[in-house]
Amino acid sequence: MNTLTIIWIALPFFVGFVGYLVPKVDRYLALAMTLVSASYAARVLMESTPLIVELMDNFGVTLQIDSLSGYFILTNALVTAAVICYCWGTGKSAFFYTQTIILHGSVNAVFICADFISLYVALEVIGIAAFLLVSYPRTNRAIWVALRYLFISNTAMLFYLVGAVLVYQANNSFAFTGLAKAPPEALALIFLGLLTKGGIFVSGLWLPLTHSESETPVSAILSGVVVKTGVFPLARMALMVEEVAPVITLLGIGTAFLGISLALFEQDTKRLLAQSTISQLGFILAAPAVGGFYALTHGLVKATLFLTAGALPSRDFQELHKQPIPRSLWLVLVMASCSISGIPLWAGFASKALTLKSLLPWQMLALNIATVGTVATFAKFIFLPHQSDSQSIRPGYWVAVLLLLGGLLAANGAYYQAYTVANIGKALAKVAIGWLVYWLVIRRVVLKLPRVQEQLEHLIGGMSLMLVLLFWMVLA
Amino acid sequence: MLEAFIFATILCGFFGIILKQNLMMKIIAMDVMSTGVIAYYVKISARQGLFTPIFSKTNHGAYADPVPQAVILTAIVIGFSIQALMLVGVMKLSRDNPTLESREIEKTYTP
Repeated sequence: MNTLTIIWIALPFFVGFVGYLVPKVDRYLALAMTLVSASYAARVLMESTPLIVELMDNFGVTLQIDSLSGYFILTNALVTAAVICYCWGTGKSAFFYTQTIILHGSVNAVFICADFISLYVALEVIGIAAFLLVSYPRTNRAIWVALRYLFISNTAMLFYLVGAVLVYQANNSFAFTGLAKAPPEALALIFLGLLTKGGIFVSGLWLPLTHSESETPVSAILSGVVVKTGVFPLARMALMVEEVAPVITLLGIGTAFLGISLALFEQDTKRLLAQSTISQLGFILAAPAVGGFYALTHGLVKATLFLTAGALPSRDFQELHKQPIPRSLWLVLVMASCSISGIPLWAGFASKALTLKSLLPWQMLALNIATVGTVATFAKFIFLPHQSDSQSIRPGYWVAVLLLLGGLLAANGAYYQAYTVANIGKALAKVAIGWLVYWLVIRRVVLKLPRVQEQLEHLIGGMSLMLVLLFWMVLA
Repeated sequence: MLEAFIFATILCGFFGIILKQNLMMKIIAMDVMSTGVIAYYVKISARQGLFTPIFSKTNHGAYADPVPQAVILTAIVIGFSIQALMLVGVMKLSRDNPTLESREIEKTYTP
């Protein structure tokens, strides 16, 4: 299993460069790579004991592969495969597939590492690959959005590096477990880096613009898996080091509220999806022990929604209300929205039940309110007017959507115990309240929230405020 | 004392990113910040001794810690490739925005 892991982690980079040198086979190689990852994830999920690989003497450079990693790797494999299928007939160059698969590989690397330095390297490679994917259309706007992303992520990672060396100073090791003995400023700095990279809480305000202005497949991959590279290390730290768990749960609940309150009043489809991503990341962090399953369902749903939103005739909800959308696309939207709202039959229901089960009562109440908000937000998609299809949609899109939705149905099997009468009743009650809120309030109110906080300078300045806040949270 | 200078460098870079208007200057400020971070790693590895840790028969006494240095070497390489990438992006942008004023660029390209 050790050798298998090393080969699997190195393979994407090799495959990526081969695909670039031999452009004829790039798509096939990329798709094969995602299959390898998916089967590796299945293997990990079946194993009961976590696998730990020590890479160097005693400096704490370790890989740790457990069921949490398994779920995240599976998400990554499925979403990347769907995106490659979606791009199949669109004439993307070999460069695009190379970057996609390198991104895939570095995201996998994040999901198995358990020390600060491998994490740093993997996150920086992700930053570079994501930059190249966002700027792929080569228009000025795309370049600016990508540049902004790289600015923010690199500044955050510099803070993270300072935190990492403080942990090393305290423990002579870079392992995550050293966080228990590290000084509070180290924790604050590392958290700042990861929160910004993962788009969580106030540090995540860069996310709506980047995810909504990227091309459709790129935003699917960014929202589906790439943001989870900030969430995964936080979840793992919360599981390994007891002292930081309350801080992370609190941040998770704050994020769930922040994201949903932004999304409720959004009039742009892609921005709404990006803001709901922020809120869903909060759900993952609120219960890190079961966060893997939630990440899987969210990744699949969000990729489906982004791919579908890209095929709609307009991005503005006002326009969409005047102009009916094709019925087949509407059906996909309804299925995905049902899953994210937690309606039984879809895996979103099981993952929400699992997350809520492992929380304290007041946290459960908070997340239930956030769930109602999610239902009301996605009611905007469910109640769009629709008509029979006029133009046909590319087959690549259907393959991708079938893969993602099939994954969502199959994922129910991971926690079928959720299907009790009480759980189903609660879920349906939340849906009813959410839809009521939508018809009574959201549908009638047009509120334009200011976007000042999304300017580059404010985002970077916000990091210093967030740092102070985190410092106090860790001290308290 | 040395530590204070290092943190001053990091802060200088950070405020440079926020306060400088020109995109080019922002990138240079980011470089200043990363120089500060690198210096901090060197400072921490030198806390036990200053001798370069090279294997030899004679013992020179207090050696510097090689681990943070090895780690920061990786970070330097990554940092400079990111800088290069950003400069390419800025070059492309400068064709249509010769002043490279970040507020102007932001206003033009944000929907």
